[in-house]
Amino acid sequence: MTPENSEQRRNIRRTALLMTAIAVAFYLGFILMGVLRA
Amino acid sequence: MTSAVTDTHDNHDDHGPAKGLTRWLYTTNHKDIGTMYLIFSLIMFFVGGSMALVIRSELFSPGLQFVHPEFFNQMTTMHALVMVFGAVMPAFVGLANWMIPMMIGAPDMALPRMNNWSFWILPVAFGILISTLFMPGGAPASGWTMYPPLVLQTGDAFPFLIFSVHLMGLSSIMGAINIIVTILNMRAPDMWLLKMPMFVWTWLITAYLLIAVMPVLAGAVTMLLTDQFFGTSFFLAAGGGDPVMFQHIFWFFGHPEVYIMILPAFGVVSEIIPTFSRKPLFGHDSMVYAASAIAFLSFIVWAHHMFTVGMPLSGQLFFMFATMLIAVPTGVKIFNWVGTMWRGAMTFETPMLFSLAFVFLFTIGGFSGLMLAIAPADIQYHDTYFVVAHFHYVLVPGSIFALMAAAYYWLPKWTGHMYNEAAGKLHFWTSTIFVNLTFFPMHFLGLAGMPRRIPDYSTQFADFNWMASVGAIGFGLSQLIFVYVLLTAKKGAKATDRVWEMPRGLEWTVPSPAPYHTFDTPPKARVAQESFE
Repeated sequence: MTPENSEQRRNIRRTALLMTAIAVAFYLGFILMGVLRA
Repeated sequence: MTSAVTDTHDNHDDHGPAKGLTRWLYTTNHKDIGTMYLIFSLIMFFVGGSMALVIRSELFSPGLQFVHPEFFNQMTTMHALVMVFGAVMPAFVGLANWMIPMMIGAPDMALPRMNNWSFWILPVAFGILISTLFMPGGAPASGWTMYPPLVLQTGDAFPFLIFSVHLMGLSSIMGAINIIVTILNMRAPDMWLLKMPMFVWTWLITAYLLIAVMPVLAGAVTMLLTDQFFGTSFFLAAGGGDPVMFQHIFWFFGHPEVYIMILPAFGVVSEIIPTFSRKPLFGHDSMVYAASAIAFLSFIVWAHHMFTVGMPLSGQLFFMFATMLIAVPTGVKIFNWVGTMWRGAMTFETPMLFSLAFVFLFTIGGFSGLMLAIAPADIQYHDTYFVVAHFHYVLVPGSIFALMAAAYYWLPKWTGHMYNEAAGKLHFWTSTIFVNLTFFPMHFLGLAGMPRRIPDYSTQFADFNWMASVGAIGFGLSQLIFVYVLLTAKKGAKATDRVWEMPRGLEWTVPSPAPYHTFDTPPKARVAQESFE
């Protein structure tokens, strides 16, 4: 694996995890909002 | 040693696709997965279309004709769910899978195994959803908006509806993550963000919308599930909950969802109009900013769907003006498409015909949207056939015409053969005539006060209803011409690599049909681009 490849893989993993975290935050955040209002 | 093994494994030049069913079951190839998405969405288009024909047959004349009112409500609900989540969205994901890696010079999607999963979740989700038709109590009948408390009266189908919506959301989120990761990390080295084709740009923006709003829908239906089975009262007034809160949460998802279905259509049309006008896209960067502005505004207009629930005047004014503001970036787009065609050497092959119809007919849907944005007027239009006419003008001659345009535009690149142009044009003209016959009279029905989601109506609405029903049957039959075009797609003349006279973009630098593996070595995007000028 070349250094460029490993750098690219690291970036891919980082972006994917960030997007997953955003999705999870929206999911839990809206449920939390419902809990706080109920 | 490890790196040597990895490098050898990553080189796929020595083999093509696997043989038999396992090719499709285990594939991680973006072209295979794109093909599966497109075929799946076409099947769902016909399933949802059949449900539409049940609805229109029942509404052909006043009185109850063919189906029980409860089944009619199941049909309106299932038609919408199947068309939105099963036909339009997967079709655009299919196009994204096929075209984005080739447009940015990437060998595949960044996360190919997840790509396989995000497709194969879909048939399971829709298998579950469609199976509810055979359950005690029938399929969900509360409309695709699933408003409580009505949706909580669904029979045995309720948990299956919730589970299938979760699966659809999961599939969409996984697909969106893949698209963002691919575009941000796997572009050809000299393809800067603002040099990306508009289809790629609109999909990048759409994917961000998906990441933000699909989890919100999932959260809303999770709360419905706990209200039904776990004793919570998020939306139950009797337990201190608020049914209107569901509407707020649903439309916080639902309005961006509209743009999820239309932004990639903007991207498709922005690829096709320049090709057949033989000019570069007018105002590429302003198109990017306009699409971004539309996406941003889509998050702050949701309550225009619910003016009638009663909200403070300041709230009505905010949502009314914010909604009207969307007309500005949308107008920029329409202006730029017209500017691209201005003094261009235009020809009118099938993809261009569908794109031109898109621009004209989507604008009609946009104008009726502006009418609905006016809060005092909306109180009259709300829940009438005017709303049905509006969103069908946006979604059928809007999204679906763009999908048809895309299919005809890229079909020669996919199959290596030119499609039957005469059949394509026949498909276009019959579709355009019948789509207007179906949906234009619905404006008048709505203005005259006919409510939506009813199986029977007053005799004063009879004439426009039979016209709409004849149009729907004609539109449905017209789509069989498209199936004929697809079935005979490999019988036409051999397509050249560039296919059209003046296309732009890296996808036209690879052979037709596109090889199973493309761009194992990153291309020089700008050099390729300049060779087309």
